[in-house]
Amino acid sequence: MTLSRFSAPGALALAAFAIACAPFRASAQEAPVITIRKGDQIALAVGTLGGAEGNAVTAILQNDLSLAGWFAMVDAARAGYTVGGTAQGGQIQGTVTDRNGGVVLSRTYPGGRRGAHQFADDIVETVAGKKGIASSRVAFVGTRSGRKEIYIADYDGSGISQLTNDGSISVGPNLSADGSRLSYTGYKSGYADIYVIDTGSGSRNRAVKFPGTNTGGAFSPDGGRMAATVSRDGNPELYVVGTDGGGARRLTRSRGAESGGSWSPDGSEIVFSSDDGGAPQLYRISSGGGAPRRIATGLGYASDPNWSPDGTKIAFTTRGGGGFQVAVHDLQTGQTRTLPTGGSAEDPVWGANSRHLIYAQNGAVYLLDSVTGRNLKVIEGVGRISEPTWTR
Amino acid sequence: MTARTLSTLGIAVLLALGTGGCSKFKKKDAGAATGDYDFVSGSPLPERSGASFFAGNVDRSMFQPVYFGYDSYAVEPGERSKLDPIASFLRGGGKSIILAGFTDERGTPEYNRALGERRAQAVREELISMGAGAADIQTVSFGEEMPADAGGDESAHAKNRRVEIGVIK
Repeated sequence: MTLSRFSAPGALALAAFAIACAPFRASAQEAPVITIRKGDQIALAVGTLGGAEGNAVTAILQNDLSLAGWFAMVDAARAGYTVGGTAQGGQIQGTVTDRNGGVVLSRTYPGGRRGAHQFADDIVETVAGKKGIASSRVAFVGTRSGRKEIYIADYDGSGISQLTNDGSISVGPNLSADGSRLSYTGYKSGYADIYVIDTGSGSRNRAVKFPGTNTGGAFSPDGGRMAATVSRDGNPELYVVGTDGGGARRLTRSRGAESGGSWSPDGSEIVFSSDDGGAPQLYRISSGGGAPRRIATGLGYASDPNWSPDGTKIAFTTRGGGGFQVAVHDLQTGQTRTLPTGGSAEDPVWGANSRHLIYAQNGAVYLLDSVTGRNLKVIEGVGRISEPTWTR
Repeated sequence: MTARTLSTLGIAVLLALGTGGCSKFKKKDAGAATGDYDFVSGSPLPERSGASFFAGNVDRSMFQPVYFGYDSYAVEPGERSKLDPIASFLRGGGKSIILAGFTDERGTPEYNRALGERRAQAVREELISMGAGAADIQTVSFGEEMPADAGGDESAHAKNRRVEIGVIK
């Protein structure tokens, strides 16, 4: 009964759209004269940048700004804002002008993909007032080498590089919000340990190595601690532990298995799944300890929750449609909806804008716009890909 | 000794009831009280021995794997007899084992790592209740990795939902 109600796409998608766009409407009203909107999107034109690298940078910008979701890409004549500039000699000079020719953004960026993504994120922030996702880095598990190893790439699938070369089983990556650290579950010792990599220096520490299984090292928003599943007490329980493995503190005492911890944006709470009551369900608990509270998703199966950076929503994996699906529970309305992924999908993770999710499907990473329902395969070609995570 | 055995047996019975028979009751109750969430779980694990489950110093062929139902960590009555020779072996003293938990491919990898560990711990608690020493039993979970059968049908899934027993040489 609840399932069929939540899967009615039209009305709920509209409702979600209205909710997600409410803050944008408010900010758009502050400047009604210069904002021309197509539907609920801002009309934006991206002219071809000048200079030797202009075409390449323009293509990246167009892709980023189209994926961002906040803009309708239009001709310059109909645009509320126009993107321009030059790209040459390893440098991008980017500008954005409004309808009256007023410069709202003018900045110099490094050349190439990195600079183009930074420019795109600045455009999103300046024009739409939202955090961008174009500079985000995505880590995931790939099987290209014949073993499961951790890889990292840009959010659009370019620049894939292999991060681990353990030759055992390396799985379950988690990135810190700023991308400076990555944790993963590795079996080099023969047991499941949580390793923490400093992505800048490449140094690695086998941080959490208690007896039994240690997995799911999810960084707190400030990067100082991790939520993790630790079984040393004779049962897999939710722990909070330092990123060096010190100061381990057990949060749950249950009969079942706890897993998939994810922090609230202020670090005060952790959402996780527990199968203490049968199939896995979501619970929230103070990160300092206390009694867990069940989150009523209305679905009989809920695992691997991920708290949105704006604090209002929790994405998770549910069972249904002959496989697994991505669902979102809105903490403000109490509503849950399953998102259209066109096949069995799992492990959704929110991007910095609390609008886009990445998830795993058919051995690839997909990017899903939770407002429009648009989804797109963004990373593939590293064998079978699973367990994506990204920076915020 | 007898009193201790009796009390561990009692805990085992409670565990068996809790993991199997009471699941419906638990489900119905799950939304209400958080008090019922509190549970003093099993016996702490010993320090690691240095052995590695898939390495040469572990004999994985001495005992039959214990199989599980979908999404379940209950040791089924039909599987329980497999534990007798293991418990008896451990009661003999001087030997230690690693229990490795596995799942089928359905569900997320992280959920399956936790479920595999829970299965290994369920077998461990049974063995302890049968007189095996807690200090002689390590656990590890591989989740959905290293399947016994690479197929994607239910017969393959059933073979993959297991706890394997490795004897440290």
